[in-house]
Amino acid sequence: MGLSKHIRSFVDARFDTETAEHFINKQVHKRLPPHTGWLHVFGSLSLLLYLSQTITGILLLIYYRPTPEAAHKSIQYITAEVNFGWLYRQVHAWGATLMILAVVLHMTRTYFFGAYKKPRELTWVTGVIIFIVTITFGFTGYLLPWNQIAFWATTVGTESANQIPVIGEWLRYFLRGGDAVTGETLSRFFVVHVIILPWILTGLIAVHLFLMRATNLATLEKVGEEKPLQPDQGIPFFPVHVAKEGVVAVLLLAGLVTLSVVAPWEIGEPANPLATPAHIKPEWYFLPSYQLLKYFEGPHGAFIGILACSLPFALLLFWPFMDRGKHRHPKKRPVAVGVGLVAVLAALFLGVLGHLSETDRTVFGRTYHFDLLGRPHQVTPSSDLSQRKHAE
Amino acid sequence: MNKRMNAMEKQPTRRGFLDWLIGLCSVVTGAALTVPGLLYLWPAARGGASEDVEVPNASGLAPGQSAILQVRGKAVIVVREQTGFTAISAVCTHLGCLVKWDGSRKEFLCPCHAAVFDKNGAVVSGPAPAPLPTYRVKEVDGKVYVSVA
Repeated sequence: MGLSKHIRSFVDARFDTETAEHFINKQVHKRLPPHTGWLHVFGSLSLLLYLSQTITGILLLIYYRPTPEAAHKSIQYITAEVNFGWLYRQVHAWGATLMILAVVLHMTRTYFFGAYKKPRELTWVTGVIIFIVTITFGFTGYLLPWNQIAFWATTVGTESANQIPVIGEWLRYFLRGGDAVTGETLSRFFVVHVIILPWILTGLIAVHLFLMRATNLATLEKVGEEKPLQPDQGIPFFPVHVAKEGVVAVLLLAGLVTLSVVAPWEIGEPANPLATPAHIKPEWYFLPSYQLLKYFEGPHGAFIGILACSLPFALLLFWPFMDRGKHRHPKKRPVAVGVGLVAVLAALFLGVLGHLSETDRTVFGRTYHFDLLGRPHQVTPSSDLSQRKHAE
Repeated sequence: MNKRMNAMEKQPTRRGFLDWLIGLCSVVTGAALTVPGLLYLWPAARGGASEDVEVPNASGLAPGQSAILQVRGKAVIVVREQTGFTAISAVCTHLGCLVKWDGSRKEFLCPCHAAVFDKNGAVVSGPAPAPLPTYRVKEVDGKVYVSVA
């Protein structure tokens, strides 16, 4: 009797393995709806990135030091001295941005295919919370290198909390661990990033996957008219869909390593609490909010701006309970699809404006200065940059 | 018969009382564990009473020039004018970036969202919702001190 058989008989004598085996077989041989295709791989892609972030995060933790004096130096040490440290740092940084992209694409697919409708409302809600937690991961992790851009992006981000009436000042003080961004803030963000959020995300993913398997993937049939898939219907989860996910996983790993080599993230200058760099901008996923905030001025402008930035998240959270239509097929949901398209285009438009704002760009031989609000102004040879800026 | 049974059901029972007591104890225990945890997370106050902090090399500043320093954790800009020194918070009231002094225009400019303040901290243009706070400055024996309340 081989070792594996010995182990098997040992486990069989103590646990009800037959039930577990039956459960696993049932899940593996489940049939997926006929429309399941390449657009359905973003969920598992997000999961893969979560695993990659966990592994690379643990590896980085071995050498990272969360103090203002040592944080930036430890990142330099990881990059320059530790074997393959540069690779793990880059894969972690690129993995963070790709994970947010994968979650956004997964949500977009779910939205347009109407998969959030009954009985999958809670799967959607846990998904939106996962999205918010993923963004919070990005925000807290961003500070850890303790460089200029990280320090000031965190200053602006936490200052936003101050605009909330009544509790704003209290909240900012609590988030920063004091009046300003200091070592106390770094400690707090570090703990949230490496201990609290990972456990929350792990729990949320477990619930999300359980709900997803319990209610199966959504078909394109109307709510209440979904029929269970027979063994000869739809697409087999294994091996057909798993093979697609495998292909995407390999491409992702190749992409992560390629991006790490050809487009490495800069370490940047160490944080200087007495000098704000010019034109600091947040990461791409915060650009729409960053740009939107600029349009609200006056005594309560920032607060109204923060409300405007929070509204899409609230809408996402409650959308399954607002859109009560029975249809799932995108062609039969013109209003929901229209709202979704407008939201995606608005986010892209604001993001592009945010990216272009306060820069000079040459288009077809003409140079334009994009002002604070993203409006282009043609630069003439006589115009002076400082004058233009001041005119804004 | 039914009335009598209903009356018996409504009467307090030992089991019901114990259930209620266990529930109460759970809430009290939970609160007793949570409150210290929340208080622990609240940042410990630092700094103490207001004190005067010397501006390094203040005598080296020409009229119209400025220096930035931290006073009790707050960024402060000290500007030398013809008549003396002024101290003003460097923290933009919009979203917390540090403003810069433009000596030629006699204005403070925020590099993040282009808020502009005059030399007294009043908002000139841009998204800032409030003026920059000013601080007390005093000169003693040729040295300049700033005090942040």
